[in-house]
Amino acid sequence: MTGGPRRPVPAPHDAPASHDAAAPYDAAAPHAAPGPRPVPFPDDRHRRPSRDRLRHRALFYATDAEFRDAATAYLAEGAAAGDVLVVILPEPRRRLLVAALLASAARSASGAAPAPDPASGRPGGVPDIEFLDAADWYGGPTKALASFHERGRTDWWRRGRLRVLAEPPWDCRSPLELVEWQRHEALLNVVFDATSTILTCAYDIRVVPGEVLADAARTHPVFADAEGEWRNPSYADPAAFYAECNRSPLAPPPPSAAHRRFTTGQLPDVRDFLSGQAERLGLPHDRRLPFLLAANEVATAVVRHGGGSGDLWVWATADELVCELADPAARVEDRFLGHIPPRLDRPAEAAMWAVRCLCHIVEIRSDARSGTRVRLHTRLEEPPAGPPADPPSGLPTAPPPVPQGRR
Amino acid sequence: MSTLGDDGLPLPETDPDSEGVPVGEMRFGDHLALAFGGDEERYAVLAAYVRDGLRRDHKIIYLADQEDADAVLDRLAAAPAFTGLGLDVHAAAADGSLAARPVIEAFMASGRFDPDATVDLLGAEIELALVQGFRGVRITGETSFSLRGWPGTERFREFEHKCRGAFRAPGSRAMAICQYDRRWFGDEQLRQLLACHDGLVRVDDLHDDGVLRVTPTFTPPGLALTGAVDASTLPALREALAVAARRDGHLCLDLSGLAFCDTEGLRAILETRSSGGGLDRQVVLRSVPPYLALMLRIAGWDRLPGVFVEEAPA
Repeated sequence: MTGGPRRPVPAPHDAPASHDAAAPYDAAAPHAAPGPRPVPFPDDRHRRPSRDRLRHRALFYATDAEFRDAATAYLAEGAAAGDVLVVILPEPRRRLLVAALLASAARSASGAAPAPDPASGRPGGVPDIEFLDAADWYGGPTKALASFHERGRTDWWRRGRLRVLAEPPWDCRSPLELVEWQRHEALLNVVFDATSTILTCAYDIRVVPGEVLADAARTHPVFADAEGEWRNPSYADPAAFYAECNRSPLAPPPPSAAHRRFTTGQLPDVRDFLSGQAERLGLPHDRRLPFLLAANEVATAVVRHGGGSGDLWVWATADELVCELADPAARVEDRFLGHIPPRLDRPAEAAMWAVRCLCHIVEIRSDARSGTRVRLHTRLEEPPAGPPADPPSGLPTAPPPVPQGRR
Repeated sequence: MSTLGDDGLPLPETDPDSEGVPVGEMRFGDHLALAFGGDEERYAVLAAYVRDGLRRDHKIIYLADQEDADAVLDRLAAAPAFTGLGLDVHAAAADGSLAARPVIEAFMASGRFDPDATVDLLGAEIELALVQGFRGVRITGETSFSLRGWPGTERFREFEHKCRGAFRAPGSRAMAICQYDRRWFGDEQLRQLLACHDGLVRVDDLHDDGVLRVTPTFTPPGLALTGAVDASTLPALREALAVAARRDGHLCLDLSGLAFCDTEGLRAILETRSSGGGLDRQVVLRSVPPYLALMLRIAGWDRLPGVFVEEAPA
C-alpha cells in the first residue's frame, strides 16, 4: 500500500450511525473500540432483534484458536437454531474449520466415532454447511454482491434465516480494489438490510492491513467473538462511508489513451470504435461484448438522459482495459447508484446495475462544476482460479462442498 | 443455372425456407410465390400488394379459389395494411381497377386446364389493362384449384414454369404472386412448384434503417428483430412493438438476429407483456443470443412472470 490512510479513522466518541441498519442494536452496550469487550450484547434468545433484519458482524481474531472457537460456536448456535449455514473461506481457513468441527463432533460423542449422516454421508455431529471458496466468491465486488443476492433470493432465504461466516481476502488487492471492497462491506448493510441474515466477516488482524481494519470498524454495526456480540460505536452511516469512497479524484486519462467524442445517433460508431480499441489493447474476444454492452449503456445515458454528447477515452494498464466516459454537462446522484439489484420499474438503476455487473470495477465521479465521469475497469486476463479444493489431508471424512444448484 | 428434372422442368434452386423478397420491393417482371401457413400472413402480404398497386395506378387481378370474390375483398379491406389509408377496396372493385373473380372461371373456361392457352390469356389481360391506361398490372392467384383433379391440372407445374418466362419478358409491366398454402401441398411437391418462381415473397418489414430491421412473423405471431437496438433505434422498436401488440394473444419475439441490444431496448421488449387490453400477455423470447441471456439474468428479468426465455444454442 502506498500513501497514508485515505480516510481518518473516527474516534470512538463519534456519534453513532443513524442508518437504520443499526437500529436493532440501539439499546445495547456503551461505546467501545474493538478489543476487550465491555457489556456483551444480550443473547439472541432473550432479546430477539427482528429476524428480518441483517446483522452484519465483524470478527477480529489474532490466533487460529480464536478463529476456531468463534467460528465453531457461531455455527453450532446456527445449527441449533435451524439456520441455513454458509461458509465462505480461503482454503487453508476452511481446512482449519473442518478439522475443528470434526474434533468438536468427536468430543461431543464422548470419544466414540459418531455415525455419519445416512443421507449426506456427512460425519455425525457436524452441522450441514455449504462451503464456498473465497477465492471464487470474492472475484469482484459487484460480482460478490450479485452472487449473494442471487443465491439468497433463489435458495438461502427461502429455507430460513441465513447465517454466513465469511473471510474476504485482503492480500493482492490494488489500492482501487481495496477501496471498492471496503465500499462493498458498507453496501452489504444497505442491500441486504431487510433480509433475514447474520453475516459474520472474519479479519485476521495479524495479516490484514491496519487501514482495512480501521474501515472494517466503520462498516460493521456489530462486533463479535466466541463469547457473543456487541454494538460497534464507530459504525458509520453507509451513505456517508460510500460518499467518502468517492472522495478521491480520478487521475486524468493518460495522454496515450485513444479519445473520441460522441453524440446522439453515433452509438453504432462508438461501439465500432470501442470494439477496435478493445482488440488493439488485447481484450480477449469473449469479453468484448460485455465490455461493449457496459460502455454503450453509459454512452446511452449521456446521450438520452445527460448532456447529449460526451467524450470517451480507452487505454490499457498492465492488467486492465479502462474506458472512461465523460459527460461535461450533467451531474448524476451517486447514492449507491447501480449497487441495488434492479426492478423492472426502475430502468436507470437496471442500466447502471448491468454496467457494474458487466465490469470488474466501475468508478463514478460527478459534480456540478465538471460534470460526470464514469470509468469502467475490465480485466484483460481472468484472475487465476483459486487452488483446487482437494480434500484436506488427514481428513478423509470432511464434509464435501455442497454443489451450488441445491434446492 | 438450374438443373432439369425428369419432366424437363427445372429442379429447385432456391431454399423454400429462405426469407424472400419483401412485397413492397416487388418489381415488374417478378413472378414470386407466397408460401403461407395461415390467413394472417397471407392477407398481410396480399393487402400490401394490392394497396401498393392501387397507389401506383396498377390494374389488380385476383384469381380466387377457396372463397368467393366478395369474401376476398372483405378480407383485404380488413387487413392492417388498409387501416387508416382512405383506400377503398370495394370502390376499386367497382371501378375495375381491382378485378377479383374465381380462378376456375378464368383458367378453366374450356373445361380443361391448358398451360399454353392460360399463359396467352394472362398476356391478353395484361395487354388490355395497359391499353386501358393502367400503368402496370399485378396478378395474384390461388393455386389450390390445381389440387382438385380438374382435367389438365397435372400440367400445372408446366404452367408455372411458362409464366416465369412470360413475366420476365423484356419491357414487362406486370408482376405476379402465386399463393401456395403450405398446409395443402406435399413438401416435395411444394418444393418443385416453388422452384418455378423467381423466389418467395414475404411480408414487408415494419422497420429497416440499416441498423435495425423488424419483420412480422406469423407462426407463431410476433416479430423478428435483426441488427442492433440502441438509443438510435429504440423509437422504431417501440413503434413496431406497439403495432405487434395491437393483436390480442401471446407474442413471440425472434431475437436470433439481434446482434446488440441495450437495457432500455430489453425493457421495451419486456413491457409488451402488459400492453394488451386487460390480461397480461405472455412474451416468448426465442433464440436469445448468449449475451442477451446474460443481460436478462443480470437484471433478474428472466424470471419475470409472463416472460419465457428460449436461449439460442451457444
